[in-house]
Amino acid sequence: MTTLKKSLLATAMMLPMAGTAMAEGQVNIYAWSESISPELIEKFTEETGIEVTVDSYSSNEDALTRLQAGSSGYDVITPSQHFVKIMIDEGLLMDIDANEMSAYDQLDEEWKGQWWDPENDYSIPMAYGTAGFAVNRDIYDGPVDSWSVLFEPTELAGKIAMLSYPDEVVSAAQLYLGVEYCTEETSEMRKVYELLDAQKSGVVAYTSDNIANRLGSGEVAAHFWWDGQVLRNRLDGANIEFAMPKEGLVGWLDSYVVPAGAENVDEAKAFINFMSEVDNATAQANYYAHSVPVEINEEESLYTPENAPELFPTVPVVFAQACSPAAQDLVTRVWTDLLQ
Amino acid sequence: MSKAFRFWGLFPAWALMVLTLIIPVFIVAAVSVSERGAYGGFDWGFDLTAYRQILFTLGWTDELEFDPKYLIIIGRTLAYATGVTLISLILSLPLAYWISLQSARMKLILVYLVTLPFWVSMIVRVYSWLIILGNDGLAERIYVFFGGADGQGFLFTWGAMLVGMVYSHIPLMILPVYAAVEKLDPALIEASHDLYGSRWTALRRVIIPLSAPGLIGGSILVFVPSLGAVLEPMLLGGGRQLMMGTLIQNQFGGSRDWPFGAAIAMVLLTIVVLVLIVNARRAARQMEASA
Repeated sequence: MTTLKKSLLATAMMLPMAGTAMAEGQVNIYAWSESISPELIEKFTEETGIEVTVDSYSSNEDALTRLQAGSSGYDVITPSQHFVKIMIDEGLLMDIDANEMSAYDQLDEEWKGQWWDPENDYSIPMAYGTAGFAVNRDIYDGPVDSWSVLFEPTELAGKIAMLSYPDEVVSAAQLYLGVEYCTEETSEMRKVYELLDAQKSGVVAYTSDNIANRLGSGEVAAHFWWDGQVLRNRLDGANIEFAMPKEGLVGWLDSYVVPAGAENVDEAKAFINFMSEVDNATAQANYYAHSVPVEINEEESLYTPENAPELFPTVPVVFAQACSPAAQDLVTRVWTDLLQ
Repeated sequence: MSKAFRFWGLFPAWALMVLTLIIPVFIVAAVSVSERGAYGGFDWGFDLTAYRQILFTLGWTDELEFDPKYLIIIGRTLAYATGVTLISLILSLPLAYWISLQSARMKLILVYLVTLPFWVSMIVRVYSWLIILGNDGLAERIYVFFGGADGQGFLFTWGAMLVGMVYSHIPLMILPVYAAVEKLDPALIEASHDLYGSRWTALRRVIIPLSAPGLIGGSILVFVPSLGAVLEPMLLGGGRQLMMGTLIQNQFGGSRDWPFGAAIAMVLLTIVVLVLIVNARRAARQMEASA
């Protein structure tokens, strides 16, 4: 960790302290960048008097690392399903009896009791969607119906950016190659490595930050990205399109969880319940522009299959799994060899 | 001075050193020989796998084989930090010398200007280079103005990274070099000319030797942080090839191998300590020589 990050972290931890004297309570949230509606946070503070601080991350790995480093100071985080599973197994999350919370009653039946948290002791689903890639239509007007456009680029070569972490990228490569997620077969993962290694000469950057600018400004013509972000930026006027590769998209579902050792558990639960109320969940869905696993007011919802095709995939969606250590090692080997 | 006073007077400094420097180094060392946790993290223990991994890794045939990939990353980082240091050095000396020739008031203003970037967050400063070097940015416009081809991206190249790193670190070079050059007695330069020394000879035989402590001090201040740079390789270099800083960061993030990250950090620390030892010995020799 750089000194810079440390000092940022120190500042981030000092900030809430400054507000404590005044507030009736506080809740410190660590969430995907730009994932929680600022208006809802204001509304929550108005209604409950609880002060909210939000820090953000841009990969599940960052969130996991922060928790493993101990006493993160956060009360709510929003990792994806496979990381929820890992965090539960590693004892990093608090059993908050999520199934007794009012937020749980708002959940759609199909998202209750999933494999990563079968009894819903720890987690309340927040949003779900897919990881794929988007292209800038000012620069590229070719087809986007297959991962081959991105992974074996011809026209796009030299104009591609991928994420800086393997999680979704390797899963997507596996979908394309027909390799099973989390395989422990070295020979299978070698194929993934060879695909990504051959692609590398056409990739200008591996980075997970600042994606909207990079793709919107035409710095790159194709970028690995998430459905909702593409939608939001497209509606803001960017001429971009989210690809629907026939091999499938990588599915994810983020959940609200409370880290073990969190200090403001009641406030955290109040926040999660608040976010899951119908009106608030609707406003949040409209802001975040991802699909929501809770009941919302359909009439107020901004997104329909017509204006938001990103959120209604027409291709198979395969959710990322929590891999065994052996399988995870292979993923790591692919990535380290790729970037060596 | 009483013994007790010497002890207690220095106590805050010692406490600070132990708490913020020595204990953390021991923690990193301990993590580097601990056992890797399945999903990141670690369990205390004694296991040298992390160090073995620097030279030998499981290949795609599932056999442990000698693999120079980490040595290449270390070598690349050293080469890069050396390049950044040399460029900073070459740019700093004339600038520092020029500042030292100004009026007292002007000197103050110029030195203040050199330190000005430190008041702005490092991330913001690196981001500003994204705009300068990006598509249709200032760099490209100048390039096109002088007849270069359009649509030439400068971002995500080794050059972009180099520019960013020199930019971030050069104030650390200018200040000590300036401090050394400022003390230079102009009479000595005059004397070298009186003895029919050319400008080049004056630079080589008078200015550089007399400002050597500043040049060396500045070089260390630039070289050491360059070794651990993370932001510039990631943002400006595009993260296509790992440097030691990004390699370490990856081990604690995506790769989830904390002991290996700690082991690489120990290698980095060893290189830094070696550089400092070499410098300390050189300084000691010089003291002896002048005594």
